Amino acid sequence: MMKALRQEAAKLLQEKRAALIIGFAEREGHPALFISKPEDCERLFYDVSCRQNLAAYLSKPEVSARRPVAIVASLAALRSLVVLTAESQAAPGQVLALAVDKDAFLGTFDVAGAAELLRSKYPDLGPEKALLERVGELSKKSVVERAAFWAEEFAKCTRCYACRAACPGCYCARCIVEKNAPQWVSTAALGHGNYSWNIMRAFHQSGRCTLCGACEAACPQGLPLMVLNAALDREALEEFGARPGYDPEGKPVIGSWSAEDDHSYMR
Amino acid sequence: MKTIEIGRFSDLAQALSTAGYRVAAPVDDGGVVRFKEWTKGREIALGAVPVDSVKDFLFPRSEVVARFALEEAGAFTPVPVERFAPKTVALGVRPCDAAALAALDAVFNWDYRDGSYNARRAATTVVSLACAKADAHCFCISVGGAPDGTAGADAILRPADGGSKLVFEALSDKGRLLEAMVSDGQAVPDAPAALKKRFDPAAVGRWLAANFESPFWKEAALACLGCGACAYACPVCHCFDLQDESDRKECRRLRNWDSCGFGLFTLHASGHNPRPDQSARWRQRVMHKFSIYPQKFKTLACTGCGRCARLCQAGMAIAETCERIEALGR
Repeated sequence: MMKALRQEAAKLLQEKRAALIIGFAEREGHPALFISKPEDCERLFYDVSCRQNLAAYLSKPEVSARRPVAIVASLAALRSLVVLTAESQAAPGQVLALAVDKDAFLGTFDVAGAAELLRSKYPDLGPEKALLERVGELSKKSVVERAAFWAEEFAKCTRCYACRAACPGCYCARCIVEKNAPQWVSTAALGHGNYSWNIMRAFHQSGRCTLCGACEAACPQGLPLMVLNAALDREALEEFGARPGYDPEGKPVIGSWSAEDDHSYMR
Repeated sequence: MKTIEIGRFSDLAQALSTAGYRVAAPVDDGGVVRFKEWTKGREIALGAVPVDSVKDFLFPRSEVVARFALEEAGAFTPVPVERFAPKTVALGVRPCDAAALAALDAVFNWDYRDGSYNARRAATTVVSLACAKADAHCFCISVGGAPDGTAGADAILRPADGGSKLVFEALSDKGRLLEAMVSDGQAVPDAPAALKKRFDPAAVGRWLAANFESPFWKEAALACLGCGACAYACPVCHCFDLQDESDRKECRRLRNWDSCGFGLFTLHASGHNPRPDQSARWRQRVMHKFSIYPQKFKTLACTGCGRCARLCQAGMAIAETCERIEALGR
């Protein structure tokens, strides 16, 4: 698998189909690796311990300046690429994916090809069973108990925004939490502001989140952010049929409106 | 000799608590070890380097520094803010975190003497814990520290008898006040963790001062995603942001931690940003720690705790950057 990945990456650089490859390094911790010379592709690595979603780099100006870019992309990162294209954040032809799934290299795909691959081979990606069980357990609790659970978790948040940095879906040049006229969300790393911030970030990802888990992996305080994301993913699916990351022309649930939506809550 | 059985370590926390101290210690909090306020019955986790350091108790992540009562027609009256500086013992502080206090003391007493920091600093007794083990991210020895270093500590606990006991040694008057709470005993101290010197900070500082425009930075900072995980976990980083937040009744002026990794950190009101990209921000971080700070305060702003590298999702490791810089300077 690693051999095929490295060869393909080197070929993309040689053929100038990519000017920059973003992958994972072989050395300890498997940090993100940026390669522009074919011979350096020997340093590429992938296994399931590589938790970063490399699609997050696509909104970084230093990276987008070096397009065309190819990223090593897990299935979740492939979906992120499709979401970013649907939201006009990645221009077709400027981003390629070296697709990987656990221990298999699946090939090089453009966005349309990635969407086609996902639809044909992985049409039903969603939260893993263990994660859904965590959601289920929490759902059984009363509203008051759930609020107390999250209040205790969010109290640990330092507002370092590692979750936001990890997330390909968080690409706003100026996050709403950084707008202070008016101040929508308290910036203090204390109970009430932390609660608002974390719920708001999860809400902004609902129907857009590809469940890559990079935010939770990045959180220094170990907040169970994926429980929130998975719960909202199921909600968006059940209420709006949202399956983000399958259609490069699909409209995100929170960024669209339809006359067919249920409006009965408006009185 | 004063000794404590490891298994009875919580007794010391209890004795301190009974004596009226607030006790801060590394506590296992659902799988993550945090340096936080100890409460009765909680196990103290001495084995792992906590994700937070004692910094949080001296310079909290968010603090109200001023308060104003809002009245009719835009008028307001200042309301005095009560200073929170309870008598505290920080137990089991790593030598790298205790060493960071010199750097914090310097900046909070430079052109302005910071009242709330100094009040808490004066009220805090630091009992450090020498390290018998180090991991791949630890590099105290490269930045002038040691796994059994005593800088910044009022007392030190040294692992002894193969880790089954701790030897208590008072290092200051504050530390000696605690001596009576520890019983006499005998134990053979264990060897401190063995660490290799990875780079020479003076050589790094020399290269930094001369290579502000080096292309090295562009490449070295590509992986950085611009969050504050490194700065917030750092026992020395002390940048803050002032924010006014109000409701209908009052306005609170907050001092929140800030990070040079954020794009907004030096963004001017005009829209100009003197650090326009992540490479300029990462350069600032490294220069501040290894060039600017030592020039200004005669101390490094890095104590080699390794937290930044341990926590960075993108694998940005400051020790590795320093190694590469030293090699560039050769």
